[in-house]
Amino acid sequence: MNGFLRAAAVARKDLRVEWRGRQTITATGMVALLMILLLGFVVGSEPARAAAILWVAMGFAAVLGIPRVTQGEVDQQALEILLLYPGSREHLFWGKCAALTVMLSALLVALLVLLGVLFGVDVWDHGGALVGVGVLGIVGLSVIGTLLAALVLHVRGRELLMPLLLLPLALPVVLGCVRLTEAILTGTAAGLWPAVLVSFDVVSVLVCPILFEVVMDEV
Amino acid sequence: MRDVTFVLPPHSVLLVVGPNASGKTTLLRLLATALRPTDGGGSVFGHDLVRDADAVRVLTAFVGTSAGAYDLLTVRENLAFAAAMRGRPDAPVATWLDRVGLTPVADDPVRVLSSGMKRRLALAQAWLAAPRLLLLDEPYGGLDRDGVALVAEMTEDTTRRGGSVVIATHEWERVMNEADAVLALAAGQPVEVGPVAQLTAADLAAAAGGRR
Repeated sequence: MNGFLRAAAVARKDLRVEWRGRQTITATGMVALLMILLLGFVVGSEPARAAAILWVAMGFAAVLGIPRVTQGEVDQQALEILLLYPGSREHLFWGKCAALTVMLSALLVALLVLLGVLFGVDVWDHGGALVGVGVLGIVGLSVIGTLLAALVLHVRGRELLMPLLLLPLALPVVLGCVRLTEAILTGTAAGLWPAVLVSFDVVSVLVCPILFEVVMDEV
Repeated sequence: MRDVTFVLPPHSVLLVVGPNASGKTTLLRLLATALRPTDGGGSVFGHDLVRDADAVRVLTAFVGTSAGAYDLLTVRENLAFAAAMRGRPDAPVATWLDRVGLTPVADDPVRVLSSGMKRRLALAQAWLAAPRLLLLDEPYGGLDRDGVALVAEMTEDTTRRGGSVVIATHEWERVMNEADAVLALAAGQPVEVGPVAQLTAADLAAAAGGRR
């Protein structure tokens, strides 16, 4: 059985459901927008602060949006049937992770444009480098997030548990992305942060799908 | 569940009856590998339910009380998704839609369907897998006469291909002519197991009510 086709089917299904319902992107977009506006007012809208504001907004938006991708299966009473399809649960993981990556990427692009307008950040000149950082950050958030969303699926108070689990685990991603974005925008050296981000992503990509299978076996 | 032992040969239909909370759905979910037995075990066409669960899932299709479909997707998209997840992305979705009478609503979102139409979709999702073990939990809920005939056709098709069917239902009168054997449960334990031919309607009514 072709795992890639199964993962693609899950991703396409999740994105179609999201496109028609627009629940996750609306919620995450609103949170991110409010955070950017609020932090912009509080700490000032100098370009130097844009990196931290961008990734803090992304982090909180991810906390809100990530659980919805898997929770939708429970709300639709479709989880049991999904788990009874033959084939590795890893395919489900990669499908859900891919859908989440697309959603967070769309959000990041919108936020970068917003930063360009509100903070006077020259997004266009640094477009390539910022996309590179975005890819590293979003892959890390999506991979960890997909696992945690499955972990808290049947937990009461998961809205509280999700940030408690995701924010500490994703701290290297958020911190790394802030430092790298800062370095790109100010033209300073990035130090070891690219290596930290890449290492985090590689370890997450290797470990999380295996843990997802274990978690789904207990659902 | 306790002390439930049975062998279901190919080409046969097992009717599972019993009052509410007697364990009918639990039994089906165990056979579908949605649940793992805490003790004891079982196998489906030689594949162990626990150690070889994925092989069991290849051979099995489970239709539960909920359709397991996505409200925001169309009927056609739901069926295509089920086919892709079954490793049959090229399955003739239009043919299956026609077969279960869903062609007129093929491009409608599932959220606007009646419960009977959702049930037909659930049947189609299971049927296109050409399962060797078909597990039907209360399959008649919301179905009209044509829908009931569809369940009978699906059952016959599965047994003709050498498969087996387990039907758990309170509406056992509908299955009397198709079933080969009966398993009556009460509080998770069998109260009657045997060929349908050896039971009278009164026996079955008593067994379905949980009385020996």
